[in-house]
Amino acid sequence: MHIDLYGDTLSALVTAGSLASTGHNVVLRMPQGRVRQQIIANKAAYSEPGLRRLISSGHTSGRLVYGDFDGLPGADSRAVFLALDTDESALAEKIVTRLSQVRERSWLVVNQSPFAVGFTEHLENLLRTDGVESRRSVVALPDFLQEGTALDGMHKPPQIILGCNDGYAELLVKEIFRPFNRDRDHFLVMSPREAEFTKLAITGMLVTRISFMNDMANLADSLGIDIESVRQGVAADPRIGPAYLYPGVGFGGPGFSSNVINLVDTLDASGVGSSLLNQVIEINERQKEYLFRRLWQHYHTDLKGRTIAIWGAAFKPETGRIDNAPIIRILEALWAQGAKVRVHDPEALPALLERYGHHSGLHYASHPYAAADGADALMVLTQWKAYWSPDLDRLRKGMKQPVILDGRNMYDPAYVREHGFTYYGVGR
Amino acid sequence: MNAFKAIPDTGTQAEQQAWADLNIQAERLRPLHLAELFRADEQRFAGFNVTAGPLLLDYSKQRVDSLALEKLFALSDSADLRGWIERLFNAETVNNTEQRAAMHWALRVPADTELKEPVEGVYSDVQSQLDRMAAMVDKIHSGQWRGMTGEVITDVVNIGVGGSDLGPLMVSRALNDFAIKSSKSLGIHFASSMDGSQMAQLLQQLRPQNTLFIVSSKSFTTVDTLYNANTALAWLERSLGKCAGLMHCHFIGVSSKPEKMSEWGIHRENQLQIWDWVGGRYSLWSCIGLPIALRIGMEGFRQLLAGAHLMDEHFRSAPWASNLPVLMALIGVWNTNCLGINAHAILPYDGRLEKLPAYLEQLEMESNGKSVNRDGELVQLHTCPVLWGEVGPNAQHAFYQLLHQGTEVVTCDFIAPALRYHEARHTADAEELVSQHELALANCLAQSRLLALGEAALEDEGELPHYKRYRGNQPSSTLLLKELSPFSLGAMIAAYENKVFAQAVIWGINPFDQWGVEMGKKIATETLGVIRGEAAAAALDSSTRGLIDFIKAQ
Repeated sequence: MHIDLYGDTLSALVTAGSLASTGHNVVLRMPQGRVRQQIIANKAAYSEPGLRRLISSGHTSGRLVYGDFDGLPGADSRAVFLALDTDESALAEKIVTRLSQVRERSWLVVNQSPFAVGFTEHLENLLRTDGVESRRSVVALPDFLQEGTALDGMHKPPQIILGCNDGYAELLVKEIFRPFNRDRDHFLVMSPREAEFTKLAITGMLVTRISFMNDMANLADSLGIDIESVRQGVAADPRIGPAYLYPGVGFGGPGFSSNVINLVDTLDASGVGSSLLNQVIEINERQKEYLFRRLWQHYHTDLKGRTIAIWGAAFKPETGRIDNAPIIRILEALWAQGAKVRVHDPEALPALLERYGHHSGLHYASHPYAAADGADALMVLTQWKAYWSPDLDRLRKGMKQPVILDGRNMYDPAYVREHGFTYYGVGR
Repeated sequence: MNAFKAIPDTGTQAEQQAWADLNIQAERLRPLHLAELFRADEQRFAGFNVTAGPLLLDYSKQRVDSLALEKLFALSDSADLRGWIERLFNAETVNNTEQRAAMHWALRVPADTELKEPVEGVYSDVQSQLDRMAAMVDKIHSGQWRGMTGEVITDVVNIGVGGSDLGPLMVSRALNDFAIKSSKSLGIHFASSMDGSQMAQLLQQLRPQNTLFIVSSKSFTTVDTLYNANTALAWLERSLGKCAGLMHCHFIGVSSKPEKMSEWGIHRENQLQIWDWVGGRYSLWSCIGLPIALRIGMEGFRQLLAGAHLMDEHFRSAPWASNLPVLMALIGVWNTNCLGINAHAILPYDGRLEKLPAYLEQLEMESNGKSVNRDGELVQLHTCPVLWGEVGPNAQHAFYQLLHQGTEVVTCDFIAPALRYHEARHTADAEELVSQHELALANCLAQSRLLALGEAALEDEGELPHYKRYRGNQPSSTLLLKELSPFSLGAMIAAYENKVFAQAVIWGINPFDQWGVEMGKKIATETLGVIRGEAAAAALDSSTRGLIDFIKAQ
């Protein structure tokens, strides 16, 4: 099938590459910018495992071609995907309006972008201009990609939520996704509004679990309990299960946070408001500064002139993105108190450099142990594999003060302390 | 006891002559009703209003005419008002009982001024403290002022009394509409009363981890403030434990006595300085205004200062006939000394100015509530009248009955902004709110009209029964602001300050001391001993003994 796809988000690339890999002919229409440049140069635009190879082999096969973002789909195009960012809803309106102006043509638009609830319906109204009798519909197909395992999520989806009011459109979408829908029917079909809201509710549920555990961790702190034992006990209950129960220094990421905020905005605008989700977000934001608070107390409320090492800037491992990541709040808090920071991250330093440039309070370290050199404390913010088993003796020799603040509860407190470190975890 | 005279036999020959001339005018005008003055001159407003910056003062509803004004100007000249204004702004020792200058005006001189410094380093001292305050404001607004546990400060409590309370309280209430975005979620609270009433309530609703206290006291010995501060400290220590970090994270001090602040435990970094030369009731322009800056941001705070500076320049340079603060002063002198009116009401027709009456009560009565002149003699003229007030529309349901039909003559200041609710943040409800503002304005104008003209204001009412009659002839001024903004409020407060100074010059008194509030503090210390059973009651009068007996019996 001939398919056009607008956007340069992670979801755009994963969808385009995956569809091309199963035989579809895809025109990927990316706006001008860094992502487009990287892709055309055959470089990785996102540090997503397997993605660069997927895109490049699609392109080599000739089934994935790059088109003009401002161009219209060709005559044989059967479906138009929109995989834009939260803040690009105006672009979506523009694209759909342009489609609507092509008279006598049928359109199926598949909206994967995380816009506000109701936006897919709004796009459909734009598409169905007066007097047009051709078949036109916009469906919602929210993406559930998790950065780091996005390709797996696309190829073996636990469910595909489709918001769609039109039988023919439903058939067409199911045909497009047939290769990913083999072992059983993964489609759950509902109205576009319900589909959009489901996506938000799932995100809301997950972050609520995390914030709940962080709240528990804070209580554990003051009761002298190790939250790690508690977490294992809770996870063992089959009614609860182990996912999203890890206390830490808060969740981030472009999808995670903005989606939650989006949900809260949606509710606030309708005058209802969710006091639970507001709390969830507040707990999360407080949690991002958790290690700062421990450090502040450790150094008796005076961090002036201290050097702090940070391992991990990315909001999670296997990504180079720092959107809403805890490091942002940590850096600002440390700088405001007159401390300097040395950061290492295997992937996210470019993103950090893009945001802060050459900052007198920030040293970009090319090696984890170089970051820790002369530091008064080491904070671990992202659980990159390479950080799991550090050479503690080497670390200690380089540091000015042997203090480790473990934001992901990666280490064994007793073992670390044995090596002469002061150890702080989250809720332990 | 003061022996009051219409024409004092103290002062220069010229002054005595000016008073004599004024008395002749008073004799002439006293029998005239305001309604007659308005009838005699269709254009009366044109001749009896003055504008300065964003302010308009209408004094056409005062019982003066141009001849009386002329004599009032002559009185100002004879009292050397011009010379005294220069002495004030040249930092001469105008506060004679405390042997120092009064330089509150220097607090609002802008950083890039071309004015000559009367005392070397004053302007740069002022700016350096403002800069230090700005850094604190920024840290708090950006959520980077941390409590002892590292949590963000979300609430600030200003502990102070008198000038360290009323000024910041009045202005931050008045300018709440100008709160800057990053301060929206910041709670700003005030605790002043020595009995701990406000403190008790605040401590119940606030969390120690997130609360920062500003201890504001010029002398840093004010009992009211220190007791409240000690209560705050104990509250913090109970939940956070005793440690050095606690003072570092939870207390800012503002005082002219750094060593006293240090003694109490205020961290050096957290000390903001004011100076001996600024009186408490004139100090909101200094770092005492920190709560204001926390509410409206430093840019707003500098606007407030700019408005006041504009009024200072006006006060220094404008001829009497167009000098707004001087006209306010002379009208007051005329009413007090020539018409014998000893009560003055402050009536803002804008709920945001609810604390303005209390603020002006302090400014005027603490400054000019004196009965000894600069030479130490008893004054022979009445000085500051009794001031009180209330938000006008609310007072209409309270004491306006007395204004309209009571036996006392009262002068009034009606105060209102012309524009309101036109700012972007009100758009949603603007229409309804604007109509409420119009209603308030209509009431403001109607009340002053009825007070002035009496029944004459009502053309076709016919013969009224006695109890429905309005005698009118109650003089008032109306002060309109283009809108209530940091700039216009600054200008208005400075106008009142300068008015107070001008009146003090004419009455020959020192407006910058307040010895009358000292002795009570001392006696209270002795009485406390008796109440606590540490001292004998024998030396006390029978009334005090009786009251203490009752208290102890409970």
